[in-house]
Order: sequence, then structure tokens, then C-alpha cells
Amino acid sequence: MERKKIKVPKKVKKKASVGEETFPFDISPMYEGERIRKGEMYVELGGPKQVGFELVVALPTEEVEDMKVTLVGNDLDELEEGKAHPYAMIYYVAGSQIDPDLEPVIERRNHDFQNFIEGYMHLNQRYDIWVRIGKNAIGKGLKSLTQIAKATMMLFKNEMPFIEKIEALYITEGKLVEKLLKEYAMPIYDERDARVESLHDEDVNEFYSCTLCQSFAPTNVCIISPDRPSLCGAISWFDGRAAARVDPEGPNRAVPKGELIDPIGGEYTGVNEFAVEESGGECERVKLHSFFEYPHTSCGCFEVIGFYMPEVDGIGWVHRGYPEPAPNGLTFSTMAGQTGGGKQIVGFLGIGVSYFRSKKFIQADGGWYRVTWMPKELKQRVERFIPEDIVDKIATEEDARTIDELKEFLEKVEHPVVTGVVRPVDNKRITDGWVKEKEVKEVKEGRAEPATQQVSPSSGVSISPTQGIRLVIKDANIYIDKIVLRKKKNEGE
Amino acid sequence: MSKKYRVLAVDADPDSNLADALGIEGYRTIGQIRELFQHGRDEMRTINKESWIEGKIYGEVVFEVDDFDLLVMGRPEGEGCYCFVNNMLRAVLRKLMRHYDIVIVDCEAGLEHFSRKTIPEADTIIVVTDASRKGFKTAVRIRELVTELGIKAGIYLIANRIGEGDEGTVAELAGKENFKLLDTLPYDEDVAKADLEGLPVPLNSKVAKRIEKLAEVLICEAKS
Ligand SMILES: Nc1ncnc2c1ncn2[C@@H]1O[C@H](COP(=O)(O)OP(=O)(O)OP(=O)(O)O)[C@@H](O)[C@H]1O
Ligand code: SF4
Ligand SMILES: [Mg+2]
Repeated sequence: MERKKIKVPKKVKKKASVGEETFPFDISPMYEGERIRKGEMYVELGGPKQVGFELVVALPTEEVEDMKVTLVGNDLDELEEGKAHPYAMIYYVAGSQIDPDLEPVIERRNHDFQNFIEGYMHLNQRYDIWVRIGKNAIGKGLKSLTQIAKATMMLFKNEMPFIEKIEALYITEGKLVEKLLKEYAMPIYDERDARVESLHDEDVNEFYSCTLCQSFAPTNVCIISPDRPSLCGAISWFDGRAAARVDPEGPNRAVPKGELIDPIGGEYTGVNEFAVEESGGECERVKLHSFFEYPHTSCGCFEVIGFYMPEVDGIGWVHRGYPEPAPNGLTFSTMAGQTGGGKQIVGFLGIGVSYFRSKKFIQADGGWYRVTWMPKELKQRVERFIPEDIVDKIATEEDARTIDELKEFLEKVEHPVVTGVVRPVDNKRITDGWVKEKEVKEVKEGRAEPATQQVSPSSGVSISPTQGIRLVIKDANIYIDKIVLRKKKNEGE
Repeated sequence: MSKKYRVLAVDADPDSNLADALGIEGYRTIGQIRELFQHGRDEMRTINKESWIEGKIYGEVVFEVDDFDLLVMGRPEGEGCYCFVNNMLRAVLRKLMRHYDIVIVDCEAGLEHFSRKTIPEADTIIVVTDASRKGFKTAVRIRELVTELGIKAGIYLIANRIGEGDEGTVAELAGKENFKLLDTLPYDEDVAKADLEGLPVPLNSKVAKRIEKLAEVLICEAKS
């Protein structure tokens, strides 16, 4: 969307001021977090009672008049004391490195910088901004919002030197604030959201790590990419970037992607190097969008766990709030117990609910076309992200509670796992579908355990007759063996 | 006291009753905000989550009473992962608390918020006990916990609801356990009566006046 300067109506009350000045109030990070109480406030701007917004707009350099501020509407000395008033803060910025992508990054700092101002409290963001100016600031000699604008612009230029020119338009005239919010700012916010939401792994140079959970899962490293939000559901790539900017040595650090090794599985040299380092060598490779091959580790915080069901050659998902056993006979907590701890466990994968929204959702293993079961509650939550041609073919507890029921359901609806899954990402056929009726029977008889089959998902992995997962199992042999041995023993007893 | 200083009272007992004792209603708790976050975060799009949390705390949790602010921590977390939200809470609370002259925290004996570092530190820890052996045992346990958590704070004991004639025993017990006994407060009819009537602790009661004096002493000490 094209960025244009706002045309201030001719007839409104306005004043302008250009150039630097000295301020009667202190400016220091010391004042960050200062809360202005109702009784100590001179005026409130925006907030729960009045309209308000903040916006940074990138413009061509010739359109920006450096260090100029225009105030439209009443100034501080004309605003009724003790009351809330409308407030808009618009900044035009220019610089050779500045484009609209940087707008939100710069805008975010308005919060930080304004809180450096003594006696000025800034809360929230965008159209939720809530400002209070303290009586103490007025007492010190604060007279005009143009002083606030200039102090903020000065901080912007000092702290973000790539801003070559900056100009401010502050508005306290309610009707105009409302109109501009609706017609000017909202479309820009929406456009930004849409852009971020359509951002993919290939569009960025860095992912972010999270090591907050290492206190109880020391080898765990979460990697957060645009297409893979954190498995605890709390952190998106955008959040990771914000945190890493504030504290580069903190729990969220930038992970340069490096070379792309596997575009479908989502494997990068940078991520692998980082994983080796952070896990103490425990984990050497990570594929972000793969279920079977070098899956992402899980610290136990995941919101949802995925489990492979060899009997149907498909994947099921169950969320933390679902208390019943899944068709594999296991509950969320039982599976979580096996999967947590920061190890790569093939056959299980912990994810955040928001990963279901991803365009790359386990794309190496067929994405949604490999999904056969999930609780109804979870399915409803993510329904709008499931492709239309598969949504009705994914069973819930209302369709199937056991493997046998699930098999029957999948066959009835002609789920792709029955005839073979073609993964959409490259149209490759990745499973062969179920083996013929007769063979299945043989296998069943041979194992003589059709009744217990539902509670032995892992035992199935090792001797699964399905050819479709041949490729996968090769690479993951060791892990599968480990699980199998333990499970089988238990059941034999 | 709160007339002279900026005071933040924190109710960190999950079974919140500080607010009741102070006669305050209509607040939201940190726990409620934490749950709101956990349920709403998937729909937050590109907003800055830390700033969201900060806005909620500053706007809805910090409760302005006449001459001090109150913050109620609320119930402990439910199921799921709270690492990220707690990390943000820590950052926001640290920033908030440093702007008060005095932050007074009412804890349960387990000191959960200190072990989780949602409350970062303390200058002084006051353990209130009655004359019972059980009370003293708890006091000793709290002191051990404080050492374990690496909190560098002066620990003091206040004996409360002490019947006439028991002062000696209390002093003796405190001495044996090596506690600095700050004061021995009597049973106060006015306090008990107010409690029965569902009223806050009367500020003109004997006990309240004694506590006010104690507070002045402690503040002087912390400042020096
Ligand atoms: N000195 C006193 N005289 C009379 N009544 C008192 C006195 N001190 C406390 N009480 C009463 O005892 C009850 C418990 O007091 P309080 O809530 O302070 O205990 P507490 O140690 O904080 O308990 P908890 O460990 O459950 O938080 C209250 O109802 C209070 O009114
Ligand atoms: S589960 Fe969440 S909080 Fe924990 S390490 Fe991963 S991203 Fe961080
Ligand atoms: Mg208590």
C-alpha cells in the first residue's frame, strides 16, 4: 500500500515547531516502568476511555521535514485537567535503509522512548495506547505536547541512527483522530499483519531459539521460525525477534539459517550447528517440518502431541486438555511422559496449536493428508486451517476410539492413507497405502493380538508391514527399537 | 507510613487474604492475566506480548487504594507451559517494583513467588509466628528456604497473638533458634472483633500502632 502524508484540514487549530530544543524534564531509562497513579495524573491520553493510536510511516526523504512537529487540536494547557482526551502520534520517517517493513520495528520503540520521559507513562501499542502525563512533569515545566514529540524524535534519532529524518504529527482533536485511525492507520496495521502472517521460513535470514525450558530439559532447544511457532504455543517468530532485539544474550537468540539442506523437511546448517552446540551434542540435526526424520525435540511443554499409528500408517494428534486415551490406547500424559525431556523421539512429536496454521505443517510427511485422528475440540479450534478436501476425512472421538474403528472410518471416507498419500509440497507419493485385505489378515493372525493392537502403537513401528514408510524407518531405526523393546515387554507381562 | 512513601502491597498468598485484611475489593490478579494470556495468545497476531502483559498489569491489576497500590498475585498456574509468560511477568514486575519506595509482600510459607523469581528479591524478611512450637518450626523452615533460594535478606521474627505471661517463653524459644525477635504482639480484642464483623484491621488498634512503629524502624534500617 502506498504511503502518503496526511493532509491536515485547513480550518483546524494547529501549531508547528521545527528544530531541537532543551527540555525541562529528565530523560532516562531510569523512568521506564514508572506508573502514574490517577491522583498524580495531569491528563490521560487515549486509554480505555478515549480513542488513540500510534503509527510510524516510511516516506521518501524529500517528503519528511526533519525534527518538525505539528500539533492539531488542544495543547496541554488547554486540555481539561484530570480528564482523558483523544491522542494520535504519527511519525514520518525517512532513510536510505528504511522501507515499510521497518515501520513496526521503529513504531515499537515509541513505547520504550516515551517511557524514558519523566512523568510520562506510555502503555500498550497501536490503537490501544494509553498515556498518562503526571502533575510532576507539568510542575517541572512541561508545557506542550510538541516538547514530548521532540524528545521522542530525538531519542529515535539517537538510538536508531538509520533514521535520517523524522517528523511528527500529534493530534488531540477527537474527530480527526477517529477518522485517521479508521481510514489511514487501520489499513496499514492490517497490511502489516497480513504480511507477517504470510511470512515464510524462506523469507527471513534468521530464526530464533528459546532455551527458557532448559532448566528442566537441559538438552532441549526450541527453534522458532515463521512457519514453526514454539511448541509451547507462546512464542511466534515475531515474538522471538522482539525478544532477541531487547536482550540478544537472553533466552531467545537469533539463529542464522545458514545453508538450506532440505527444503521440504526444513533442515538448515545454521539450525543444526546451533542444535549441536546447545544440546551438548545430544542432537545433531533438526528438520523443522518433518514428523519422522530428525524431528524437533520436545521439552514437555508442548500443547499437542502427535503420534504415529502404524496400523493405519497415519498420524494422530491429541491436546493437553483431552483426558481420554487416543486410538492408540494412550493418553496425552502417557505420551508426553515418553516424549518430553528434550530428546528426539521418532513416532511422537510435540507442537503448539498454532503450528496447525502453518503452510508447512509436517509437510515432509504429507501435512494434513497424513493426519487421521484428533479430538473434536482440537479439530474445531483449527478447522479453518485444514484443507477442505481432507477436513471431513479426519476422524474424531465421535468417529473412532480404537484402531479398528479408526481403520473402518478411514476406509469408509477414503482417506488418502488408505490408498497412499501424495504430499502436496512436491506431489510425491510418500506412502503406498494399506496392503491388501488378505495380507493384513495374515499379519494380524501372525501377531495374534488384534485385541491388544490398539494399545501397542510403538510395537507396531518396528514390524510395520506397510511399505509406505520404508524411507522413514531406515533413518530412524535406533529410536524406534528403543521404544519397541520396552513397550513389548510390558505387554507381554 | 504510606503517606510518606510510595508503597506497593503485594498479596502473594494463593489463598489471597491480604486484600480482605485491607478491606479492598474489585481487583484483578496476576493469575487471571496469566490465564487470559494463555488462552488468547494464538489470536494476538503481531502485537508485542510483553507490552500486552504490561498494559494489563498496569491498567487492571495494580489497584490504587487511597495512599498505596495493591497487587494480587492470585492462584497458581494451571496445566501447560508457563515458562514464557512467567518470564515476561518477571520482567514487567521488576520494572514496576523498582519505582516504589517500599514493596511489602505477604507470602505463604512456601515462598513460591521467590522460588519462581516472579518476585526477584527482598531486603528484609519478617516471619510471623505464634507462641506454638509448630509456629517456630515453620519459622525455621522458612529461614532454611530463604538460604536455599539464595535470598540475601535480613530475617526477623515477630511473635503475634501472645497471651500475657508468655512473652518470656517466646523470647527463650527465639533465642534458642537464633532469631532476632523484633517484637511480641499481644492478642488484640479489637482486631479479633473487626475480623468477625468482616472489617479490615482497625488502624487505631493497639497492635496496628505497634506495627506502624516497627515499620518505621525497619525502613530506617533498610535505608542505612
Ligand atoms: N494480634 C492479634 N489479635 C487478635 N487477632 C489476631 C491477631 N493477629 C491476627 N489475628 C487474627 O487471626 C487471623 C489470622 O491472621 P492472619 O491472616 O494474619 O494469619 P496468617 O499467619 O497470615 O495466616 P496464613 O498463614 O493462612 O496466611 C485473622 O482473622 C486475624 O484477625
Ligand atoms: S517450550 Fe516454549 S518456553 Fe520452553 S524452551 Fe520452547 S519455546 Fe521456550
Ligand atoms: Mg497470610
